[in-house]
Amino acid sequence: MNKLILSLPIILIFIISIFLLIFLLQNKDPNVPPSALLDKKIPPVNLVDLFNDNKLINLSNLKNKEILINFFASWCAPCKVEHPLLFQIKKQNPNLYILGINHKDKKHDAINYLNQDGNPYDFVGVDKKGLIGLEFGVFGLPETFLINKSGKIIYKYLGPLTKKVITNEIQPLL
Amino acid sequence: MKYSLFYKKSLFIYFYIIVIFLITTISKASIESDIKDITSKLRCMTCQNQTIYSSDTEFSLSIKKIIRQKLKNNESEKEIMNFLINRYGEYIVLEPKFNKQNLFLWLFPFIILALSLVFFILRIRKNT
Repeated sequence: MNKLILSLPIILIFIISIFLLIFLLQNKDPNVPPSALLDKKIPPVNLVDLFNDNKLINLSNLKNKEILINFFASWCAPCKVEHPLLFQIKKQNPNLYILGINHKDKKHDAINYLNQDGNPYDFVGVDKKGLIGLEFGVFGLPETFLINKSGKIIYKYLGPLTKKVITNEIQPLL
Repeated sequence: MKYSLFYKKSLFIYFYIIVIFLITTISKASIESDIKDITSKLRCMTCQNQTIYSSDTEFSLSIKKIIRQKLKNNESEKEIMNFLINRYGEYIVLEPKFNKQNLFLWLFPFIILALSLVFFILRIRKNT
């Protein structure tokens, strides 16, 4: 019995090491916090069209559609990097509704940016004060969310999308 | 002593202004102190190991703005915390909640302490 108790610290360290190893093998980046909104319903927010102030959509009304929500801004350099990849996603998935949310940006800068680099979005909503971003728990740009047909957030990616992320993580969900 | 009506009215207005000024100052000071309390418990998600209170990043400034607005709307600290946790997850709170999910995290140091004590006592007994 005494021997068992004396060897307990070693056993404990061994168990902790196994837990750490499992975490490391999962290839998770500890700097990327888990999203609180995963598996939850999409926040029912209203979005005003960037190109037409009179056009408005409510996110909860976009039912029976797979939606890719991409938060971007003209001042955000990583957004410019991932921008061409959004065209690629649209080409591969013509039925996917790509919704851009222009976050804390100036209207004319955003329009110029989309005129210059092209517009891969089916709808571009304005989030001038960042309140819509707040509902989605956005804290850095770009951020991308995938919504399934029943309106649930099934995936979130923080940072610029890459070909690898699209192939390995987004495409299998579509 | 007789006071003119004008004098009485002026005095009343003077006191009224003083009271309003005091109430506004106290309530502003109280809101600022509440903001400090709440933001000191929150993690700046875009910084390295900094609280929202000690950070001036755009994220921290916008969270401070939201908290100020919510305090003005008489929302409690608990309501504000829940609002933020629902959106940003428990990661935004510096101190993890004492719940089922974090039970191991909270109890582990005590388990280690208890085991170390047992280990220590047994070693001492063995040596004596």
